[in-house]
Amino acid sequence: MHIPENYLSPSTCGVLAAAMVPVWVHATRRVRETVPKNKMPLLGLAAAFSFLAMMFNVPIPGGTTGHAVCGTLIAILFGPWAATIALSVALALQAILFGDGGILAFGANCFNMAFILPQVGYGIYTWLMHRKKKGASSLRSELVAAGIASYVAINAAALCAGIEFGIQPLLFTDAAGNALYCPYPLWVSVPAMLAGHLTVAGAAEAIFTVGILAYVRKAAPSFGIEGLGATDKDASRSSRAMAALMCALIVLVPLGLLAEGDAWGEWAPEDVSAAVGYAPRGLSSGWMWEALIPDYSFGALPDWAGYVLSAVIGAAVLVIVFRLLAAGGKQKVDFGTR
Amino acid sequence: MARDREEARELPEWLLTDERYEPAADRDSFIRKSMKAVAGVLARLRFDGGRPWALSPSAPVKLVLGLLAIILGSCATNFAFTLLLLAVALVRMALLPQKALSRCLKTSAGAAILSALLMLPAILLGQASSALLIGTKVFVSVSIAMIVALSTPLSELTGALRAFHVPNVFILTVELALKSIYDLGQTALEVLGSLKMRSVGRNHEKGSALGGVGGVVLLKAQRAAKTTSDAMRCRGFEGDYIVPDTLAFRPADALWAAGAILLVVAFLVLEGVL
Repeated sequence: MHIPENYLSPSTCGVLAAAMVPVWVHATRRVRETVPKNKMPLLGLAAAFSFLAMMFNVPIPGGTTGHAVCGTLIAILFGPWAATIALSVALALQAILFGDGGILAFGANCFNMAFILPQVGYGIYTWLMHRKKKGASSLRSELVAAGIASYVAINAAALCAGIEFGIQPLLFTDAAGNALYCPYPLWVSVPAMLAGHLTVAGAAEAIFTVGILAYVRKAAPSFGIEGLGATDKDASRSSRAMAALMCALIVLVPLGLLAEGDAWGEWAPEDVSAAVGYAPRGLSSGWMWEALIPDYSFGALPDWAGYVLSAVIGAAVLVIVFRLLAAGGKQKVDFGTR
Repeated sequence: MARDREEARELPEWLLTDERYEPAADRDSFIRKSMKAVAGVLARLRFDGGRPWALSPSAPVKLVLGLLAIILGSCATNFAFTLLLLAVALVRMALLPQKALSRCLKTSAGAAILSALLMLPAILLGQASSALLIGTKVFVSVSIAMIVALSTPLSELTGALRAFHVPNVFILTVELALKSIYDLGQTALEVLGSLKMRSVGRNHEKGSALGGVGGVVLLKAQRAAKTTSDAMRCRGFEGDYIVPDTLAFRPADALWAAGAILLVVAFLVLEGVL
């Protein structure tokens, strides 16, 4: 779902980036009000989980791949606005350091995965939790609600990405009528994006969300915004449990390499040219960012080792960033009277 | 009687005069600056790297590992090895306490930005990759040095110098100097604080008092040196510097030594030697 460089016109990227500015401002304000300073490093840990989840590529029928995002999971644990910030930072890291998702398309990627996904997911989750039957198992209801919400949310995000891809050939063509950017119109891009996400990627998102949420509720109950009143001992036990889960995910990350091929809409410009029979001018001659570790590859190292090291670097950077944000940010949380 | 009581109730003249004393504004920026500088040095000397845990290496092993990583990182011509070191440094940095993390990151990022600025001509001439390599190498080297310095108490760090067969007298001198800097810094801070508190209103002799602060610190230093010398003589000091137990080899050191061997192997493989 990461829209690469030059698949969207600069004007589309500009509009979506401008739309994200008030979202980021509001999200920052809400995070200051609702997330205490000592929970900010945990938000970094959650962002790292999302980063790792996005590295687990799953094969989709048709030769493409998809991945989970875990946006609904972060929204459930820390609130939807905190999820927006966490996912935006994770996406920025992926774009700058690993070249996954375009720098120009950063606003569009954030709109889909850091705004639409957690907001829709959290909205459905809270709606389902309000409607749960009295006497039903609390944990089971929560996991069912989280699974449904995450499945619908990732499809909503995929639909947005499909629309953004699909309007490009309708709006931006050269004199010969050829597309300048993404060459696939709405009636191709929307079904293509949704086909993968309604089946495999949606299921992966639901499995990741439900699995990690069940683990958190059992092994690390004070992880997340609800664990404010936890004792130091509980908090340290939760941190240890989450660190163990993160290490396990990092070790398992090379499984994401088993899925061959690119995700839909993330092909190299040459592949697009070969598929449509012409080279879209904006796509093949646009500006490209030289990432430090392109495609999570370390050159001389084997792919699996590069993938693990990329996971380590990404997770560590996200934890560091959120710890620094916690140190520098002003605390505005109202704890009320005791 | 009533008149006498009335007179007695009257307040004396001197008590009725309006006394609204407002001390004249005075400049004491040099005291503030001196206090800030001394406090800054003392804060830097304070250990801020968190408590050691079961897998922490002993100080000599940490020092050797740090130096090895910096030397290998500098010699590496392969960017992949630099990125491997970057991953290790970032993970360790993420586990540092808040203040240590900020200091480590500020110093390393500052050094990397400076080196990138120095490499600006190379970037303009189309050699951006070499500038990136140098910048990353500087970031990694400074990070490793800072991590070793911040996560090890100074006393252990100087003791670890024995691993490099540094003469005992040199280690002892460094130890004594560091301890004296801390003690005398505290004294200087107290004297400056008292000078600031006693200077109510305009105090024209404040400037000359700075010499007094230096004098007090010098006298304290002399006294401290004599006390230390007497204590050493009383305890029969013969020039042997005994390594504290905390510097002894720990079981976790074997793991770190294995990690160092893996690092060397990775270096040789990536450089094409193996």
